[in-house]
Amino acid sequence: MIRSVAALFVFAVILCGYIVLRPSGAGRSAPATADMTANSATVTRAAQSDTILAPVMPSAQLTNSAVIQAPRRTIAPGARVPTDKTGMDTTAANVLAGLGLTVVQNPTSANDDPMRAMTAGVLSGIGAVTGKTLTTVNQTPTPATALEMLVVKALKEGQNDAYIDTLVNEAAAAGNITVPEILVTSDGRVDTYVLLSSIITQATIAAGGAAPAVPDRPEGVEVRMVQRATQTEQYRFYTVKRGDSLGAIAVNFYGNVRKYNLIYEANRSTLSSPNDLRVGQRLTIPDA
Amino acid sequence: MRMYFGITAVVIGLAGPALAQDVQITDGFATANVTVGTTQITISRSQDTNAVISGEFAKTSRPCPEFCIQPMIPAVGVTPVGELELITFLQEKVDAQTGLLIDARVPDWFDKGAIPGAINVPFAALAAENPYQSEILRALGAVVIDGGFDFSGAMSLMVYGNGPWDAQGSRAVQALVAAGYPASLIQNYRGGLEDWLHLGLSTVRP
Repeated sequence: MIRSVAALFVFAVILCGYIVLRPSGAGRSAPATADMTANSATVTRAAQSDTILAPVMPSAQLTNSAVIQAPRRTIAPGARVPTDKTGMDTTAANVLAGLGLTVVQNPTSANDDPMRAMTAGVLSGIGAVTGKTLTTVNQTPTPATALEMLVVKALKEGQNDAYIDTLVNEAAAAGNITVPEILVTSDGRVDTYVLLSSIITQATIAAGGAAPAVPDRPEGVEVRMVQRATQTEQYRFYTVKRGDSLGAIAVNFYGNVRKYNLIYEANRSTLSSPNDLRVGQRLTIPDA
Repeated sequence: MRMYFGITAVVIGLAGPALAQDVQITDGFATANVTVGTTQITISRSQDTNAVISGEFAKTSRPCPEFCIQPMIPAVGVTPVGELELITFLQEKVDAQTGLLIDARVPDWFDKGAIPGAINVPFAALAAENPYQSEILRALGAVVIDGGFDFSGAMSLMVYGNGPWDAQGSRAVQALVAAGYPASLIQNYRGGLEDWLHLGLSTVRP
């Protein structure tokens, strides 16, 4: 009796060990693939198997499942990921450029991104005075960063998402690369899922596909009605979970990583920088 | 220093010209012509010896906080300047395309009237919070190198805001220095549009 109990116990321990230690990306759903027929080239992200699968994965599905299923692996707390100010669009476009695809970045309207519009105005002002033809914000050939080169190399090798996640996080932890601020998660990791999904989204749009849809009912949202003298206003709140990045929250609520700034600006009193998310922090989510 | 600066502006602006037939910039120097990019600009002073300031720039006591008195040197190593240095900067640096006169105010203010030859670079565009900040630094002559910027070929800058009570110029200067822009390349015209107008100097509406 004792022997069989002990045997069962050992079996349970081994099973638990397997569940905990198996590769974290194993549970991921379908591979995301963008068929770039327009540019007669193919961008793929292989899944666990190395098979390259064809047609375009609906981008809406991609964004809906984004936040929860992103590959996570815990690293020692306290590690600080080096960040830079590169925008997500630029990073994604550079990765695609590294793969031999020219993506004209979708010009965001002034309403979507006032900072982009302001910067474009500044650049044309400087260009008019200096006489130099300045590249505008929308078509800047920013040199590829170490992060971008790393991702390009891995994608060319047909590596899967979990591999890229580990690769990028090890490089960031070692201080070898800097990453866009909005990719830093509440536990100090790099959110490679948002990075990879941005690349797919851009490739899809470049190939004439639809822009990602806004998720109907974002995960973990708390809605509160506030009665004012004249009207009732609706506020949405989100409590930061372990592994969330500002980019992922923006994808979750707006279906678009670019709109992270809406959340950032609305929470400036508690959020000192986009890479400063803390677990349990309560964020106001403005309407898009 | 600050008090002296303010009194000088008022005395020259209101009393000085009343005695002269002709309102010059300095004795024997009435007009400055500068080529800015492809446009020709002219700076001179109003010849109406009875002109006085009215409206926004005549206010003395804006509430502080918000509109607090600004330092002449918003960041260590920045050079404070007045109107004559500004005009010389336009003639020597901007004309030769080695310098830029930066109006750091929000576009609404800039559109109402600016110093001739200035370009509008709102302070918020220079802040680290602007995800496209690096594009502006590059346009100012910074070169992207591994993990940062090389400012050795960057342009000389002169920055101004609305006046001694307005933080927009100071914030732009501080944002530039925080981004690594060499303070030795930055000059600050604290007097801003207010002091400029008090001297009857030309403004343009872009």
